[in-house]
Amino acid sequence: MDFFEHQDKARRRTGRLIWFLALAVVGIIAALYLVVWFGMMLVAGYDARPGDPNAYAGSFWHPELFLIVAAGTLAVILLSSLYKTAQLASGGHAVAVLLGARRIDPQTHEPAERRLLNVVEEMALAAGMPVPPVYMMDAEAGINAFAAGHDPRDAVIGVTHGCLKYLDRDELQGVIAHEFSHILNGDMRLNLRLVGILYGILVLALIGRIVLRSMRHVGRSRSRSGGGAVVVMAILGVGLVVIGSIGFFFARAIKSAVARQREYLADASAVQFTRLPDGIAGALKKIGGRGETSEVHNQNAEEISHMFFGNAFGSFSRRIFDTHPPLADRIKRIDPRFDGKFPARVEPVAVSAALLEAETKRARPPARVFGAVLGGAAAAIAVDPAAVLGRIGVPGLEDMLLSAEMLAAIPPPLREAAREPYDARAVVYAVLLDRDPAMRGRQLETLRTMAGERVRQTTEGLAPLIDGLPEEARLALIDTTFPALSLLSPAQYLAFRQDVDRLIHADDKVELMEYAVRSMVLRNLDVHFGMAQPPAARHGRLAPLLPALIRVLSALAHAGQSDAAEVRRAFDAGMARVGQTGAPLPREQCALDDVDAALGELAEAEPLLKRRILGACMACVAVDGMVTPREATLLRAVAAVLGVPISPLAAPGGETPPA
Amino acid sequence: MITPAYWVLIAVGAVIVVLVLVVIGIYNKLVLLRNRYKNAFAQIDVQLKRRYDLIPNLVETAKGYMKHERETLNAVIQARGLAVDAGRRAAANPGDPAAMTSLGSAEGQLVGALGRLFALAENYPDLKANQNMLALQEELASTENKVAFARQAYNDAVMTYNTGRETFPNVIFAGMFNFREASLFEVESREEREAPKVSFN
Repeated sequence: MDFFEHQDKARRRTGRLIWFLALAVVGIIAALYLVVWFGMMLVAGYDARPGDPNAYAGSFWHPELFLIVAAGTLAVILLSSLYKTAQLASGGHAVAVLLGARRIDPQTHEPAERRLLNVVEEMALAAGMPVPPVYMMDAEAGINAFAAGHDPRDAVIGVTHGCLKYLDRDELQGVIAHEFSHILNGDMRLNLRLVGILYGILVLALIGRIVLRSMRHVGRSRSRSGGGAVVVMAILGVGLVVIGSIGFFFARAIKSAVARQREYLADASAVQFTRLPDGIAGALKKIGGRGETSEVHNQNAEEISHMFFGNAFGSFSRRIFDTHPPLADRIKRIDPRFDGKFPARVEPVAVSAALLEAETKRARPPARVFGAVLGGAAAAIAVDPAAVLGRIGVPGLEDMLLSAEMLAAIPPPLREAAREPYDARAVVYAVLLDRDPAMRGRQLETLRTMAGERVRQTTEGLAPLIDGLPEEARLALIDTTFPALSLLSPAQYLAFRQDVDRLIHADDKVELMEYAVRSMVLRNLDVHFGMAQPPAARHGRLAPLLPALIRVLSALAHAGQSDAAEVRRAFDAGMARVGQTGAPLPREQCALDDVDAALGELAEAEPLLKRRILGACMACVAVDGMVTPREATLLRAVAAVLGVPISPLAAPGGETPPA
Repeated sequence: MITPAYWVLIAVGAVIVVLVLVVIGIYNKLVLLRNRYKNAFAQIDVQLKRRYDLIPNLVETAKGYMKHERETLNAVIQARGLAVDAGRRAAANPGDPAAMTSLGSAEGQLVGALGRLFALAENYPDLKANQNMLALQEELASTENKVAFARQAYNDAVMTYNTGRETFPNVIFAGMFNFREASLFEVESREEREAPKVSFN
């Protein structure tokens, strides 16, 4: 299964789950109706004179009563679900704050934190997604971690203090890879949905408790008058507590059952990702060795228990509520030789700056293996679109090693700059500078009037370093600026956004390339700053999206070739991939704003359709079966707008080079 | 038959539910905003610390040339010490009015003392040409910019938080849940900066 199938499956699973939960809600309404009817019967029997036609004892079915109960219950569940979903709509950051986590400063020099950020950075680049911000739960001594967000562009990763304290680098890598596979397998969106629905049912029980508590006061103050109402309310209160709890029990059991399955998948993906079964197995063994201490004590942790790496809760009613499979079982699936014995003692792992440096060196692969990719910046590489699509979202060891090498290829001053909000802006500006000196001068002058002399100087200072970077490393650099740029204040971000646009327009012609960089930088940040919503999957069929696809393919065809026949050939190659025919739009109709809108539409395709669309784009760009690094960058940008993480190795045809 | 009394009860119940949700919402929103300005202060803190680390090197370099300006050099060291303390207190409790004011004035003094040092350095051509000194001066200036930038982000976040705290109905609950008003970080202006004279031995 590839990225798209996993995403698709996760979506279907969410749909099915919602049906299950709807069934639970129907059950809850029926049960509540019985309780209310019973209460009314008691009260009516209490007040009624013999022969009163309104007495509830006689008949069981009272439509108006049922209507009220059903409407009330549905309203409560829907309202609170909507509320919770809205609360989590701001994505991963909201979840992290809910858990009392602290954002780790991207510039940190504390060795253990630095190591964590390095691991996350390498993995994000290997997966071809922007580097997610990392949060730390300082108060939690257990070994655990979580990933939260709607999709790769607003994901955050969180770890407990115990995670940093007890795990070595390989184990940490295993845990982080596990979290990344949750991101790539579409589990996070499913998780957030689950939280929302569960919350609705939980609120029912909560209201019951409130009703009961208020009953106590009412009962005390007015002993006799309105006795009937009090009795009904008391019965309703007890009923709500009991039924709400039972409903929540089942809902939680459903959630746990789903979550457990996803854990095995994430474990397996993590091994595939790092090729280090010992890493993730070691981390799990350490959790076992510390007496299952993956516990998280924050009061809000229950709501999102299924998002963690290990079980966030202790031994209560194990089998049903565990959101994670048994540890020994998970370890055995990764490491068949495991004898079920956990380490007797787990010692803290000390991290020093020297160790950190040694590890970074070790992570670097022999240059001769990957030199072909990085060194041959000018050479075109053969690609097979099908193979490339198959690799999306399933990064392997090669991607990890390549991303480590790309990071190593970036000069330290640039990497430092990318971690600091002030300088990270300059990094993006510098990437946008034109190679032509006159044009570059004009752009720098624009920058000076917009952002000030200091920013211009910093940008100019960084430019030569960036000029020396191969195309892939440049994109990697842009991806690493994300955590720092997300620390800008909204006002600062708006200014930055304007600067980027002015820089792009300074040379009077907006290249598709500049647009690509712009969308890679701004798309994700717009979501982060609440200026855009991540696109929802609306379209399952190609037909309504065909005009948008034609426009995008025309633009790609025009970008790659100038000769009309060549354009036609590239366009046709793309259309053939989706079994369509048509004529390319003239160049004038491929203005960037139109293409941008068209890409935005395509981003609303369902995962399996997205795969076809991306396949068409790939076929169009690689019409001759060859892709230059420049074209690869373009593809990655298109993929980024579509919300598909393409690993750098996958894009320039990381498959074995042609003989 | 459902009597009006039950309708009232149902209505009251519905209002309670909505109210509880709204209160929880307000609480979470305020936590989120508070978290944001605390994160923003962490950014200032990083830059301030970097600058505090540069200053001893700067003084050490200058010492070799400015033998007769011990007073000025000591003033820089002294101001740095005060600023480091104030910075530590502010980092422990970002937004606290007392801590932010004392950091602001300590920073003001430090910037003033550094300004006097650089002004005097103009009289020492050898020092001005010293590569180490040039590099440090450049580094200090760029860090100063980053401090200002981070300060702007922090102040933006504090303003958003304070506004969120003071709007109705949040203001009712802000006091109840102990969300105190946060202080901006403002470095005192030059005139005020000159006023306190510190005596040295």
